[in-house]
Amino acid sequence: MTDRPSVLVPIRVLEGESIPEGVPELLATAHVVLLGYHVVPDQTATGQAQMQFEDRATDRLDEYETIFEDAGATVEHRLVFTHDGQKTIDRTITEHDCLAVLVPNATGPVDDVLVAVRGAVGIDRLARVVAGVFGGTGASVTLYHVAEADESDEDVGMVLDGLADRLADLGVDASTVETRVERDRDPLDAIADAADAFDAVVMGETDPSLATFVFGMPADQVADRFLGPVLVVQREPARDAAE
Amino acid sequence: MAEQPVDVEPRGQNAAGEVPVAEPESVTEDATVHDDEVELERTIGLVGGLAIGIGTMIGAGIFVFPGLAASNAGLAATLSFAIGGLIALLVALPASELATAMPRSGGGYYFVSRGMGTAYGAIVGLGLWLGLMFASAFYLVGLGHYASAVFAELGVGLPFSPVVGIGLLFGVALTALSIAGTENTARIQNAVVAVLLLVLTGFLSYGVLDAVGVFGRGSVPEQFFSRGYFPVLTTAALVFTSYLGFAQVATVAGEIKRPGRNLPLAMVGSVLVVTVFYVVTIFVATSAFGADRLGQFGETAMVEVARDFLGVPGAVAILGAGLLATFSSANASILSASRTVYALSRDALLPRRASEINLRYGTPHVALLAAGGPILVLVATGQVELLAEVASFLHLVMYGLLCVVLIVLRRRNPEWYSPSYRVPGYPVVPAVGALASFGLIAFMQPGSIAIGVVVMIASYVWYRYYAGDVTLMGDV
Repeated sequence: MTDRPSVLVPIRVLEGESIPEGVPELLATAHVVLLGYHVVPDQTATGQAQMQFEDRATDRLDEYETIFEDAGATVEHRLVFTHDGQKTIDRTITEHDCLAVLVPNATGPVDDVLVAVRGAVGIDRLARVVAGVFGGTGASVTLYHVAEADESDEDVGMVLDGLADRLADLGVDASTVETRVERDRDPLDAIADAADAFDAVVMGETDPSLATFVFGMPADQVADRFLGPVLVVQREPARDAAE
Repeated sequence: MAEQPVDVEPRGQNAAGEVPVAEPESVTEDATVHDDEVELERTIGLVGGLAIGIGTMIGAGIFVFPGLAASNAGLAATLSFAIGGLIALLVALPASELATAMPRSGGGYYFVSRGMGTAYGAIVGLGLWLGLMFASAFYLVGLGHYASAVFAELGVGLPFSPVVGIGLLFGVALTALSIAGTENTARIQNAVVAVLLLVLTGFLSYGVLDAVGVFGRGSVPEQFFSRGYFPVLTTAALVFTSYLGFAQVATVAGEIKRPGRNLPLAMVGSVLVVTVFYVVTIFVATSAFGADRLGQFGETAMVEVARDFLGVPGAVAILGAGLLATFSSANASILSASRTVYALSRDALLPRRASEINLRYGTPHVALLAAGGPILVLVATGQVELLAEVASFLHLVMYGLLCVVLIVLRRRNPEWYSPSYRVPGYPVVPAVGALASFGLIAFMQPGSIAIGVVVMIASYVWYRYYAGDVTLMGDV
């Protein structure tokens, strides 16, 4: 077993969002960073919301923390009042060095996991999350890659085998790991379609591009279409503090 | 990530038995941290801070005052604006230092209450709250003038003067809008300010080129001190309302990212930007018409100036800009007023209920209504100059005290006081700032001074009655 990977679970704590069924079991071997946040409009000082809602929100977070701890996870929690939920999530990821963010959806026991692999970049973090969360559960892991036209089979094979080896190093039973490659498809559609047959999805975060501005991050799009939980593995944090 | 411990322990309770909310444990660049587990995210960047400052200031100074100022002081009104800008700068520098040491919501009120104690804090805090109402009312009356000019431009003859009516209407609309909670108000404010600066830059560049004779006319002449020297100072006191926006930046200090850098830049930067715009505007306006005719045009003199330069399209552009500018000033002031109510009720100087948030929209409806209601009463008076001067008076008292607080804190040098920005030229700059702020009050009309003094006395009486037991001053 490896160190527990830290996974961020963001919850809009005052808007009735709660921990979906199955999620505490899913993260039983992880270090959960439980982020309760509440977004207030620009007209309202964040401190005003704190004055009024802090006790209620803290009570709820304590409750959730207990649920995760009972399932076996280690937990720390934060409560943030903000004008900008995304900024809060991003900052929490950096400050707590979270390997992944969970898009929480209800789930049953997880028997099989789809791991979407983009390329060699960030493979190590992906491996640590997969091994840390699913390594001890005996769930079967499918490493999935949608190849581009100019990618040769050898290239793809090297990336996937490299990941499989890394997983084996981290103590994942090799017999539970298989690989699958697809071609000539839009990666996003392919992943979303393939995901239907699985209980959970692990995928990397992509670099923001014009398309992600317009359509949102691919991970979000997959999460919208897939009904189970999605773990979005974060990029290596860039260590410069811009703005 | 620079962490600053905040070591101020407010004590006591008010008449309703409420105690001040505990101070946060530390203040970082991105958040205010309470108890190590609860945080308030900082989300306003430098651009947002500048937009608040410039957006509040530019409406009054450029669109309402040129006519009034020119009729009082002639071409020397440019000097009046320059004096106002200088005083604003002398206060903005100490305010910046205090803000980096105490980046918490409430701005000037917060600094004074922590530096000099609850009584001064109450006078400044309640005074600031009322001062913002006077300022908002002033902006709304200005807005009314602009909207009526739109009717005039369209050729719609009205049998009565619609100025006050329109001001009231917009006042109601703004209050309702802030309660209903429009998303992205900050982004809208940024866009409005950008558009305004563009329109004005274009217009003023043309005006300056014209005034110095690049295309023909060359009409600078006119005697500079055509009304004598004294009106320059009284006019400076009148138009000081144009510079109240930088303090608004401090009321949201608790929500500004990297406060150590962004607060000073936003406050000082916005004062410098608007000073330049004001001085150039008055210069262009007075050279287009001369002070006498400009004075006759009153609150919407800028429309006539634009028409003179660029014809009807110019007039329309300036009308649009004037509406936007006065609207954004009023909006920003109402929001600052509600932030001030929050800061006061956090410290138990006002009932906790006053800053309650409604569940449906997430906005502080009590605070917004408490600002909106009195504003309407003030708008109904329609007294542009009086409203402006009372607003200036109440702010000037706070500004003067701010400078005093800075000197007091530097001398006592308590452990928790560690600003990341330090005023250059201490103690001369804050001392001159305090003297200039208090001094400017002397040049106001007696009526405005009287109203201001009544407000201060009422604030003090309220404090004695309601929160005499509350101690807010920071430990030495």
